[in-house]
Amino acid sequence: MSYAVPLLLVAILVVGLVKRVNVYDSFVLGAKKSVNLCLSVFPYLAAIFIMVNALHASGLDAYVTKLLAPPFALVGVPSEVVQLALLRPFSGSGSLAILTDVYKQYGVDSYVGRCASVIMGSSETVFYVASVYFAGTKVKRTGWAIPIALFCNILGAIAACLLCKIM
Amino acid sequence: MNILWTIITATALAALTFVDPQGVLGVCLDSCSQAVTTALSLCGIYCLWMGMFEVADRCRLVQGLAKCLSKLNKFLYGKIDKVAEQYISLNFASNLLGVGNAATPSAIAAIKQTEHAETLSRTGAMLFVVNATGVQLLPTTVIGLRASLGSVNPSDIILPNLIATVITSIVGVALVFCAYGRAK
Repeated sequence: MSYAVPLLLVAILVVGLVKRVNVYDSFVLGAKKSVNLCLSVFPYLAAIFIMVNALHASGLDAYVTKLLAPPFALVGVPSEVVQLALLRPFSGSGSLAILTDVYKQYGVDSYVGRCASVIMGSSETVFYVASVYFAGTKVKRTGWAIPIALFCNILGAIAACLLCKIM
Repeated sequence: MNILWTIITATALAALTFVDPQGVLGVCLDSCSQAVTTALSLCGIYCLWMGMFEVADRCRLVQGLAKCLSKLNKFLYGKIDKVAEQYISLNFASNLLGVGNAATPSAIAAIKQTEHAETLSRTGAMLFVVNATGVQLLPTTVIGLRASLGSVNPSDIILPNLIATVITSIVGVALVFCAYGRAK
């Protein structure tokens, strides 16, 4: 599996050569577009980071975690990973830091550690993805898209804990 | 997003002012510099993949990929324009390969093709949900972190992870069908 991406890169170049495409020119043309893309994404990133960091620095996230731990415990999510499940939609680097903490505190191969692993692997940074995807479009109202994605993330966390119990 | 962001940020900043008034400006400024470094590193990743995708596109490889995925695309998105379909196929393939960062530019390009109004269309919602429920097969970052912290079997989470991902993807797609109806 670790060969898949390198081979793909080589394959694209080789096919380009065989089909007599101007590979170098095409690559540069495509790469050029990335600059504009990043410029349009940047202000949205700044907004998201301010929100996430303020939440974390004020201790509000820890408070909300404490509040939500009992209902999550009812459906089998250990309180240690509730914070991870809650922060995950907002911040990729933040949740990775929490994951590392969980590993160090409970052990990588413990039940809690494995739960946290699967939650991390099977969920997405919903708000981050939303802000990046809709940057540069006119979209203001996202309708059901974000609620559905958040619901699936929570469902994924519950499924993760159940699956780790039986596997 | 407008209301949500404002309420959460205002509440958090107010709480922070109460706890640590000197830290407020620092947190805000740090966040913005963090956005600069993140945007720059994303720029590098997008640069590689967008360059490669352009080459693949000129070789008509992307059209081939779109043809392979046309049944699935038709079921999920219905009738959409050719260019958007190609970007969506590229996005799906990147997700399957586990290069999530390559999936982002193609998703953005697809959304630029399909969204012209202020309200997100069914196609855009479906594409977003498919990406946000993670069709990723191998959680490479998590496995790497587990290995580096001395796990006995870092990859024993692959199976439960795969099952959880498949469950969330199916439920996500089903909910889009419930909310927006069948693809036209």
